[in-house]
Amino acid sequence: MNETFAIQTFNLTKIFNGLVAVDGIDLNIKKGELFALLGPNGAGKTTTINMLCCLLKPTSGTAQIMGYDINRQPFKIKGIIGVSPQETAISERLNPQENLNLIGEIHGMNPRELKSRSQQLLETMGLADRAKDQVRKFSGGMKRRLSIMMALVHNPEILFLDEPTLGLDPQARRIMWEYIARLKEDKTILLTTHYMDEADFLADRISIVDKGKIVALGTSAELKTSMLEKHTMIIYAQNLTQKVIKEMRARYAEVEITNGTITISAQKLDFKEIVDLLHTSGATVRSAYIKEPTLEDVFLHITGKELRE
Amino acid sequence: MRFWEIGKRNLKELYRDPVALAFLLGMPLVFILIFSFAFGGQATRPLSIGIVDEDRSQISSAFVNCLESIPALEVAPSIYHSQSQAEEELDTGELSIYLLIPHGFGEAVQHQQAIDLQLAYNEADPMLPQRAVPVIRAVALEFLNIPVPLNIELRETEVEIKDEYINFMIPGMAVFGLMILIPSVGGIMVRDRVKGFLSRLMTTPARPSDFIFGYTLPFIPVIVVSVAIYLGVGVLMGLSIIGNLGLAFLVLFIMGICCLGIAMLLGTLAKSEEQASGAPWIFIVPLAMISGGWWPIEQMPSVIRDIAGVLPFMHAMDASRSVITLGVGLEAITNDLLYLVGWTVVIFALGVILFRRSMRG
Repeated sequence: MNETFAIQTFNLTKIFNGLVAVDGIDLNIKKGELFALLGPNGAGKTTTINMLCCLLKPTSGTAQIMGYDINRQPFKIKGIIGVSPQETAISERLNPQENLNLIGEIHGMNPRELKSRSQQLLETMGLADRAKDQVRKFSGGMKRRLSIMMALVHNPEILFLDEPTLGLDPQARRIMWEYIARLKEDKTILLTTHYMDEADFLADRISIVDKGKIVALGTSAELKTSMLEKHTMIIYAQNLTQKVIKEMRARYAEVEITNGTITISAQKLDFKEIVDLLHTSGATVRSAYIKEPTLEDVFLHITGKELRE
Repeated sequence: MRFWEIGKRNLKELYRDPVALAFLLGMPLVFILIFSFAFGGQATRPLSIGIVDEDRSQISSAFVNCLESIPALEVAPSIYHSQSQAEEELDTGELSIYLLIPHGFGEAVQHQQAIDLQLAYNEADPMLPQRAVPVIRAVALEFLNIPVPLNIELRETEVEIKDEYINFMIPGMAVFGLMILIPSVGGIMVRDRVKGFLSRLMTTPARPSDFIFGYTLPFIPVIVVSVAIYLGVGVLMGLSIIGNLGLAFLVLFIMGICCLGIAMLLGTLAKSEEQASGAPWIFIVPLAMISGGWWPIEQMPSVIRDIAGVLPFMHAMDASRSVITLGVGLEAITNDLLYLVGWTVVIFALGVILFRRSMRG
């Protein structure tokens, strides 16, 4: 068993009726790392997680979770993982306490430990005052929180979170992010998302997945800097003269002007030089900034298409 | 004991859902009540009667023909020539009442002497002679065409069958009623599968057998209540339980558990709730028919009887009818019980194997 990695995949492949859903993925996820699989719907993220959780048998290849092989030791793996599926998948007529008890008891927790762990989770996730209410009356956000609590109640070493904020409003998403961020380092977390800001905010490393393949891998900063060859500066200015526009176009290959907004793209941009040039020409600069590349830009750059939300 | 945790969850889910519970428990009640209204009205059915013709004369045969032509009577297909034959059928419940035409009937008619007839009937149904005597008297007087003294002697027997039709139908209906639980019970597992809850549980260390028994557990009380309803309402409708009630209950209970096993197979194999609720009807109704649910299996072609004999449903119907109507004991139905238990074990084992396969997509 490799001491460094919690999750390793080896040419992991899944084919459904001739359709390649996961195409030979190789991953090495370190212990204590929060690793995100980022990609559009249908990219193969959930299929990958389902194979790692031993819900799907790979067509070829394999994976190891804490040294246990997904093909040969599925029940060993199930004892050390916690899973929050894409569907909230909770028992609607049970209350949160009963839902937590169910998972804890199946994992063989002793009752005292289970009670204390459930109480702690209910308080941390803000559901302590609703612990005795049937969950069918809960909001989507509350159900999501309970779903993650069910993945955590038995204190697993590895946590799989499949689209943990799907369908939540921005405020609820932000709360969920903060909670997931608090779990980092204590557990190894594999998270799938199609929200680039989520991967950007939470992940130590991100793997961009498209059509079942990993098309990019690295930290958010690495992906943004290494994958982009151009920088973009955006300036809001008034009183632009033809002369200054002509001069900028002479210096930079891509200069676009729309309703007083100048967008300049180039491999090297000199912020001060551009602002000085505009001032000298008599233009009034309202604002100017270098646009930070986003993961959306990275995805667009690599795949030639947008990562639709 | 993981199956117990899954079972507890399913138990709570089921018993906190009043609509599902009302359906599962109300269904046997509604089913048996509809059946009782549809088929239970004795007054509308002709009186089923056996005839013993000891005289075997042309006159007695003509009298029998006359009786057979009366719509108010349903004369048993075979005319008995000895009282012992009819008595035996009265004992087993095949007959509720029979008319004895004694030796010398023809001669008495010819000589216009007093004529004696005898009606033997099940003492448990005192209404039988009240219905039979006026009809037979009217037929006899019409047949004789002249006023002669006619004595109809009544004799009670100790056989307790009140209504052989009800005694035939209720066990069949009970087995059919247990069979129609299959789509509802299987559908509950499919619903959890479709909503992803089953997948979540499959990421825990729970084994295939934990799932199969965990999803079976909450329906065991449903089976107990259903069987109680079928037998209880049956008794109110006129079902005579001659044998051991507990044994009859046991036979139907095992049949119910077998049906739960079939429901688990369905829940494992069906891909949608629509499949689970629709597909089983393709086999439930035909199997109930060929297993003797509505009419005696002896009336069916031998091929059908052979097919039915391999499956468990006919054995449940036969065994429960034997206990309820013939009053037989455990020894007499051992083969049927072994069939039922064997099928139940095989179906659950198959359920576990197929569920294991379904756990890895």
